[in-house]
Amino acid sequence: MTSNVSSPVGRPRRRTGLGARTDWWALAMIAPALIGLAALYLWPFVSTFLKSFMNVPVFGPGKFNGVDNYTKLLTDPEFWQALGNTALYTVLVLIGIPLAIVFAALIQQVSRGRAVYRVLFFLPVVTLPVAVGMVWRFILNGDFGILNFVLSLVGIPGEYWVADARFTIYAFAVVGIWMGLGVNLIILGAGLQSIPTELYEASSLDGANRVQQFFSITLPLLSPSIFFVTILTTISAFQMFDLVFVMLGSVNNTALPDSKTIVYLFYDAAFVQFKQGFAATIAIVLLVIIMIVTAIQFRLQKRWVTYD
Amino acid sequence: MTSRNSAASRGEWRIHVILIIAVTLMVIPFVWEILTAFKTSNEVASLPPTIIPANPTLHAFETFFTSVPFWAQFSVSALSLIMRVVGQVLIAALAGYAFARLRFPGRNVLFVLFLLMLMVPSQLFLLGQFELMKGLGLLNTLPALAIPGIFSAFGTFLMRQAFMTMPKEYEEAARLDGAGTLRTFWSVMLPMARSMIAALAVLTSLYSWNDLLWPLIVSPGGGNRPLTVGLASMQGQFGTDYPTLMAGALVCTIPLVVVFLALQRQFFAGIASSGLKG
Amino acid sequence: MHKKWLAAAAAVVSVGMLTACSTTAAEPESTEPVTITYGLWAGTQTPAMQAIADAFHEENPNITVELQELPWPQYWSGLQTGAAGGTAPDVFWMLAQNVRPYATGGQLLDLTDAVAEAGVDLADYPQAVLDLYDQGDGKLYGLPKDFDTNAVWYNKALFDAAGVDYPAADWTWEDFRAAAKALTNPAAGVWGTAAPIDYQGGYYNTIFQAGGQVISDDGKTAAIDSPEAIEGIKFWTDIMADGSSPTLQQLSDTEAETQFEQGKIAMYMSGAYWALKMYQNEELRPNVDVAPLPTGKKQATVTSGIENVAYAGTKHPAEAAKFVMFASGPEAAKIQAESGAVLPAFKGTSQTWMDAMPEFTNLQVFIDALDYAVPLPVQGNAAEWQGMQADYLTAAWNGETSAADAAKAYAEAINKVLAEG
Repeated sequence: MTSNVSSPVGRPRRRTGLGARTDWWALAMIAPALIGLAALYLWPFVSTFLKSFMNVPVFGPGKFNGVDNYTKLLTDPEFWQALGNTALYTVLVLIGIPLAIVFAALIQQVSRGRAVYRVLFFLPVVTLPVAVGMVWRFILNGDFGILNFVLSLVGIPGEYWVADARFTIYAFAVVGIWMGLGVNLIILGAGLQSIPTELYEASSLDGANRVQQFFSITLPLLSPSIFFVTILTTISAFQMFDLVFVMLGSVNNTALPDSKTIVYLFYDAAFVQFKQGFAATIAIVLLVIIMIVTAIQFRLQKRWVTYD
Repeated sequence: MTSRNSAASRGEWRIHVILIIAVTLMVIPFVWEILTAFKTSNEVASLPPTIIPANPTLHAFETFFTSVPFWAQFSVSALSLIMRVVGQVLIAALAGYAFARLRFPGRNVLFVLFLLMLMVPSQLFLLGQFELMKGLGLLNTLPALAIPGIFSAFGTFLMRQAFMTMPKEYEEAARLDGAGTLRTFWSVMLPMARSMIAALAVLTSLYSWNDLLWPLIVSPGGGNRPLTVGLASMQGQFGTDYPTLMAGALVCTIPLVVVFLALQRQFFAGIASSGLKG
Repeated sequence: MHKKWLAAAAAVVSVGMLTACSTTAAEPESTEPVTITYGLWAGTQTPAMQAIADAFHEENPNITVELQELPWPQYWSGLQTGAAGGTAPDVFWMLAQNVRPYATGGQLLDLTDAVAEAGVDLADYPQAVLDLYDQGDGKLYGLPKDFDTNAVWYNKALFDAAGVDYPAADWTWEDFRAAAKALTNPAAGVWGTAAPIDYQGGYYNTIFQAGGQVISDDGKTAAIDSPEAIEGIKFWTDIMADGSSPTLQQLSDTEAETQFEQGKIAMYMSGAYWALKMYQNEELRPNVDVAPLPTGKKQATVTSGIENVAYAGTKHPAEAAKFVMFASGPEAAKIQAESGAVLPAFKGTSQTWMDAMPEFTNLQVFIDALDYAVPLPVQGNAAEWQGMQADYLTAAWNGETSAADAAKAYAEAINKVLAEG
């Protein structure tokens, strides 16, 4: 979504106006969206911001306590561990993007069976994340999971992929990539289709092979789409919650203390411990982190994204 | 690349091999889920594991259906999805059209506000949205599940993009025929945006059906819990009784998969449109 | 709300608890049909609870009780969200370790007067359980529904296979550890015991048996880092070090209770609340028996119990109070006992519970355990500091740090929570 954001706002004004006079219908049409935005987004945002400076007890009104929550959060090793886990997860999940590019390009190359491939890659997307977590928890089970069984066939000793905190985040990342591949594939596939075939034809005449074409034509022209899925993947990876909840949290897994993500920390503080002030602080800090990371990505894009 | 010559397509089988391997890996978890659902709890604990159920049994499904109010939770999921999709499409289309084509004071400021909301992680709104639902006495109700999703900055943005790309001639013609703004919108513009509406509807359905965090928060009581929460809860009840868990996961997954298979095109368009360039 | 409730309670009492109601005195005790909700976590007890709700409805045709089940992992967050949002069930299950924030936060209906006026005799309930819920403010917030003590469930077939004698009634820590070692057979995938980080069914018992305490007598500081308490923790870390238990990772992938049911674990130290589940497993039933906990320096088991409490925000306080008294009363106790799901708190009903599972011949150990039972430590915001156990003890269980160091770090964390009140 974010990549869209840069262009439309600055668009020349005359394109949209039908005339100089105000259309009062416009206000009526926009009112529902505006009321919803104010009540369900703006106000909650402000209230969360305020709560982040308050101590809010389980029952009863909160009291302002300055930046206590912030100092408490930033000196809490659990927060830094969760941040580390979240960052590691995000980086690992980004590996899914090159995979998606390759598969999107390969699907583009075949003349038959495209639809079938797309559908199969997409299946995890339409599967409840809760179900995904449950299925993978079983696949990765240390004692009788199918993965360890397959590994044992080739002589590799199995591990407790989920329950052993050394591997948990990596296990999450595998599941995260598996779940996200379909979406990235479709977005990148759409990007591929918009590349004019004449370019390939011309370069074929110049004697370029497919691999050369991939690097000289496909990748550069696809770079805006790649940038977009990178942003999308990063933001959603930073907000990962479902897998921690389903694979660890709701089942008292021994890996939980070492494998929490920021949003899990937020959920736990807000709706299990009911420390809403502290939870609000986590949310604000998360916002700041995502803004910084996104800003960095926008900076870096100038180096590798080509706009035509 | 679609119109590749025959020389190229001769090497195509190699690509198919790679893709088939990849797709197999994608599908294996589902296959394993299905196979496990027909096993007994003791069979899944046997070593080495059996691949095909030794004595296929429906026991896990029976356990699931007798202990989980599947149909109640299914209707909660479905009804809240319908509320959310219809509400969002309507509100987003209205606002999107106004932003795209009408002139009113503060338009740009408001639009930027919408865009900003897009960039804020949703967790920031949860506490306040929960307070609001609580204040309105809506906790544990269907509307509480649907309402925040109805007002989506993203939907508004998407609809605005759709209307902006439409030729103005139709609109101007309608106006010349004496149609007012609302009428022009309703009977000329909206039908023209139907592919985007379908895309938005499908995308919203996907989010709505899969959402876990919000229902977990807003439906704490037993009454109006959707499938995601019900399924997550199953783990508390059945611990590590994997066949029952797999049976539950399977049953809860099937509805959306069926819808997806029927509406593939709309799903793909929805996903792709989220990547449209402005 | 409070005054209205008092008036209502008086009205209830005036007609007496067990007669059908026909009062005209106060507004809430009208004959108009009323539905109240009963919040509980899902499990083997549900059928018994439904039977209790039905029995209550039969006696009070105008009051319908609707069960509101939540699965255990979501029970407390759901309840808290509900209470904060004003939608908590009218009557619900409470645990001693969770009661404090609800009591001090004014979320629980004060039942003192209602109970007194209805002539409920608190001597009918185990004093230890009543004490657990005592907030020191002179108010009664609930009535005990059941109680539990701990013992060792064991699988006779695995003992026979390993040629190990069944546990004697007076066995010791050493006997337990030796048996666990002898029963462990990695080739067959069998472990002598399971050592999850479990406070109630596990290490609290051994802490008390070693002469230690979890929290100091004044309730203000942790005592879990005292030498005696550390001994109690070492009981478990030794078992882990012996390899007599699956690792914590294995116990995460497949819970101890499931592994016991699968015949992979020979001895499982836990509560009476598993009895019915094991009894219902027909394959397992003939092989299961139960022995008292092994003795350390002395014998001890922690005891606790669920209480029925009513929500302060209920729209039907009179009916809610009435149902609390019924659900913790003799008739409900009988229903619970007959179902076998749980040991009722109401005195004199334990024989009925044992009779419900005739093939388990040694269930008496759970009742005998009351003689040496100590209340579960629940000072301060107990749910919070107990919830942190895995954060601090996991390393000791995995052998990465000593029991003493882990206990010390955990004690510091507990102290912080206790300091917050």
